[in-house]
Amino acid sequence: MNALARHRKLTAIWSSEPGWKGWFSTVNHSDVGRMFIVTAAFHFLVGGILAMLIRAQLATPHSAFAGPEIYSQLFTMHGTIMMFLFAIPMIEGLAIYLLPKMLGTRDLAYPRLTAYGYWCYFFGGAMLLISLLFGIAPDSGWFMYPPLTGRIHSPGINTDFWLIGITFVEISAICAAVEFTVSILKYRAPGMTLAKMPVFAWYMLVVSLMILTGFPPLILGSILLELERAFGMPFFQVELGGDSLLWQHLFWLFGHPEVYIIFLPAAGMVSTILPVMSSTTLLGYRWVVAAAVALAILSFGLWVHHMFTTGIPHMGLAFFSAASTLVAVPTAVQVFAWIGTMWKGSPTLRLPMLHILGFFVTFVIGGLTGVMVAVVPFDWQVHDTAFVTAHLHYVLFGGFVFPVLAGIYYWLPLVTGNRRFFRLGEMAFALIFLGFHVTFLAMHWVGLMGQRRRISTYLPEDGWTVINLISSVGGFVMAFGLTLVLIGILLNLAVRHRARRNPWRSGTLEWAIPRPSAAYNFASLPQVNSREPLWDNPVLPAELARGDGYLGDAATGRRESLMVDIATGKPEQLVIYPANTRLPVILAAVTGVFFVSLLVKIYVITPFAIAAVAALGWRWVWQLGSRQDLGDQPIGHGVLIPPIAEVSRPPGWWGSVFLLVANATLFGSLLFGYAFLWTIAPGWPPPAFMEPSLPTMLAAAGGVMLAAGGTAIAVRKNQNGSNPAVAISAALTGALGLVVAFAMMLWNAPPAAEHAYNATIVVLGSYGLFHATLTSLMVLFLLARQRAGYISQRRRGELSIVMVWAIYLFVVTGLIILAVYLPGLVG
Amino acid sequence: MLDPAGPAAHSIATLWWVMLITFTVIFVFVMALLALAFRPAGSGLVPAFAEKVWIIGLGLVFPAVILLGLLAYGLWIGERLMPRAGAEVTRIEAEARSWSWRFTYGGDASRTTQNVLHIPAGRPVDIAITTADVIHSFWVPRLAGKLDAIPGHINVLRIEADIPGSYAGLSAEFSGNGYDNHRFTVIAHGPEEWQRFLEGDQ
Amino acid sequence: MKDVLRILISPVVWLASFSAVYALHGFVCELDPGNSEIGISWIRIVLVAAFLFAAALQIVLLTLMYSPRFGSAPGFARSVSRASGWVGLVATVWTLFPTLAISTCAG
Repeated sequence: MNALARHRKLTAIWSSEPGWKGWFSTVNHSDVGRMFIVTAAFHFLVGGILAMLIRAQLATPHSAFAGPEIYSQLFTMHGTIMMFLFAIPMIEGLAIYLLPKMLGTRDLAYPRLTAYGYWCYFFGGAMLLISLLFGIAPDSGWFMYPPLTGRIHSPGINTDFWLIGITFVEISAICAAVEFTVSILKYRAPGMTLAKMPVFAWYMLVVSLMILTGFPPLILGSILLELERAFGMPFFQVELGGDSLLWQHLFWLFGHPEVYIIFLPAAGMVSTILPVMSSTTLLGYRWVVAAAVALAILSFGLWVHHMFTTGIPHMGLAFFSAASTLVAVPTAVQVFAWIGTMWKGSPTLRLPMLHILGFFVTFVIGGLTGVMVAVVPFDWQVHDTAFVTAHLHYVLFGGFVFPVLAGIYYWLPLVTGNRRFFRLGEMAFALIFLGFHVTFLAMHWVGLMGQRRRISTYLPEDGWTVINLISSVGGFVMAFGLTLVLIGILLNLAVRHRARRNPWRSGTLEWAIPRPSAAYNFASLPQVNSREPLWDNPVLPAELARGDGYLGDAATGRRESLMVDIATGKPEQLVIYPANTRLPVILAAVTGVFFVSLLVKIYVITPFAIAAVAALGWRWVWQLGSRQDLGDQPIGHGVLIPPIAEVSRPPGWWGSVFLLVANATLFGSLLFGYAFLWTIAPGWPPPAFMEPSLPTMLAAAGGVMLAAGGTAIAVRKNQNGSNPAVAISAALTGALGLVVAFAMMLWNAPPAAEHAYNATIVVLGSYGLFHATLTSLMVLFLLARQRAGYISQRRRGELSIVMVWAIYLFVVTGLIILAVYLPGLVG
Repeated sequence: MLDPAGPAAHSIATLWWVMLITFTVIFVFVMALLALAFRPAGSGLVPAFAEKVWIIGLGLVFPAVILLGLLAYGLWIGERLMPRAGAEVTRIEAEARSWSWRFTYGGDASRTTQNVLHIPAGRPVDIAITTADVIHSFWVPRLAGKLDAIPGHINVLRIEADIPGSYAGLSAEFSGNGYDNHRFTVIAHGPEEWQRFLEGDQ
Repeated sequence: MKDVLRILISPVVWLASFSAVYALHGFVCELDPGNSEIGISWIRIVLVAAFLFAAALQIVLLTLMYSPRFGSAPGFARSVSRASGWVGLVATVWTLFPTLAISTCAG
């Protein structure tokens, strides 16, 4: 088979359906990545237009352009769109598109999940845009502080759009994070050890772990606030034992890591592009990786610095002030590693480099003002003024938009196969850079003069007129520059002007794929021996196209790739991917029905939507696996490895583990909220504690032990070659018993609307009920799979996946029982 | 806040100027390093540095020294601005609601003013801040930093005006449609005038 | 996986102890147990003890990173895990030293 025949054959296997219909059924990472990027860019446009409206409003005093009702929607939606519908999805899109190519593999770990995440983002984003179109958009500021967002002060549907729409969108972030974590750890080219991974992959690994632990507090907060608004469960109402500060803690537990979730991928791009632009390698790769890890974890200890003015004792503030200054150190390590890289090499001022220089200037200023606001007394003055708004734009625009623009220009030839021929990009850069600094330097100044953020207008006597006008003019210059960028990209797509295969002479694997990129990425998978495989072997692309690498024969007609050992990169399992399917878009639509039913408060639909999600989920997992043992498969070069259906840790096991990390963070945040209300909220202790119920406790203990024990015995029996059916049935009985126990707990719970304690008990019980039901379904699934012949001594993976969930259920059940009944037992 | 009129605002303004100057120097230094990366090869203008110099010297030690100094300075100022008990301190209660402020003097519920806060000049005043509805924030930029009014909590802010006069006060936490004009005025009185105010002549 | 865990462990333990000390601070301020016989408030004694414990924990972790038995094999993972071990220790001292000097609860 020659290279062209192989290309045709692989394209037939991997490509999506032709035409627009293909958008709905594609699960290929290149397609979905591009869809993410285009949709995120559209949201950036909308958010940008909102920004222009804000600047138009503030350009003159006594502005009558928009009244406060409209203006509040403008700034709330500007922040919300830029954070949740532009920045995070843009990162997801870029990483979905690039990671498999950089890691030398053919797709991400869970192709259907990639598509499902996209559609959740698409539908959730559409919900928010529709609210904006009808003038009923969220209007309480993008961090949604209650009690302003509570039912009394915001009776309209506006706030619900935010809480429900954003939670819907967050599903895509969690999906992507699970996917990236598993893909980076397990789906790499053979021989790519941790030390030989492209530095961007390290950054994305760190970021994915951050999303898994950073987003759950926000998701929990949104759920609690929506429960308060919809059913009067008073988590944030001080008269009934709640506390509005709880929201601020949950929000910023998410919100601060969020800033680094946005910055770190951009830093990863700088670490990738800057050495190439300087014709050298990154200085201090190990140090940069260590700095990224340090930055990621430190960023979780900063959240209270958004709350310096809430009256927390000075020692509490001091902890967070210290942590907030400390976080500047690993940032400095990276900045100086980059500058050192430029010194080491010979930098040239090509277009991506211009944006990187824009990044340096802007981000260094943003970092320095960041250290300023980390100093507590200074923050007391500038908190909630335009100074802080200016600072955050320096960090986010400098630390994200400039690197992303650099990245877009850098990888554009990879996507389109074309090169630029107009010099539009340089002009655009000049306008953006100039416009940005004029806008936001002015904003620092006016903030120091006392302009609060979020005011809709001001008086001529305030003396801010000229500065605001300058700031607005700068804003429009920047918008003009960004429009030129868009035009330049469209021209690049439209005009065929072929680029060389590796125009920047980069060393990483994404430049080894056919040009323009093929659906299968690599005709055969490379053996990697260094961080710059293309520099070691310039003819590598041709060798791969010839089928010299692994999996080069495309014989089976299936989408195949490899899973490797985390540390050594040795091939471990043969991956067989699912092909094109509409299941993801249908599942996302049904998930959307669930969220819309909550939004419009037609709760009769909700249970049907949940049942439909469960049924589709069942179908989703049923499609995988095989009814016969295939045995170890050849992957080329004489290597034999088992397919993923015949290992004890299949992709689903890894995915479950990392999904449970996020889930555990959500549960941990709930326990944190409980403890927080207990110690800080004024209305505690509650009038009465939950009466300990012996039958419930016994049923729960018995049920969960039977469920976990039964699953464990089933795993063991199957391992020894005997029939696990009886043990699985026992596990099912136990799980169902646990469902009954949690139902009893909820039945006996005190009225949730009367006190935050009662409401917390109900949420804890519901969490238990949900997981007991979920595990029951999983065990039932196992039973059905066993009957249908999908499980054998070799095909044991599904058992070990359910085992993970059963262990998790065991742990949370214990904690819930303690949290619910212990106060009643002791008090 | 750049035109301070009380001890707290003074020390914060000084802190600002110190940080501005230090950070401008740092910024210029970093930009110079960046510009020097483009020096022509072999010009011998500046010698190349080793990896250790970049990472440990510039990346770790340099920021750590500056940050620790700044942190200590900031915490020291913060400690001084804490409201501590003392004979000289006047206590006034402030309750925010959408969109007004009510100030109560000497714990006497009948002795209140709306949207105008009277304080003695040249003496420390503790404002006990709370709210009747949503979160607001008490801020007199020329006198001190801000502190939030949070439902169910009472936060105490120490303010002091150097000389008698009138100072603009703001609520600095977004609170809905009336937020733009959620303002109040602080009037600082000399000793005799303050005595007269307390006796109810105003 | 073990290499990844070794790289993450020290900073994660910092995060846990940092959050725990902050929570402990909220908790003891709520209890307000008064002064000990030697004239220092119990609050400070408890918090400083927690600080020292957290720092000791980090020293143990750092020692493990340097020990041939528990540390990574020579190379990339070893240098990164040692660096992050130092990050954990420095972060603990840097962020929790306020327990020594700053006023504890609201005045």
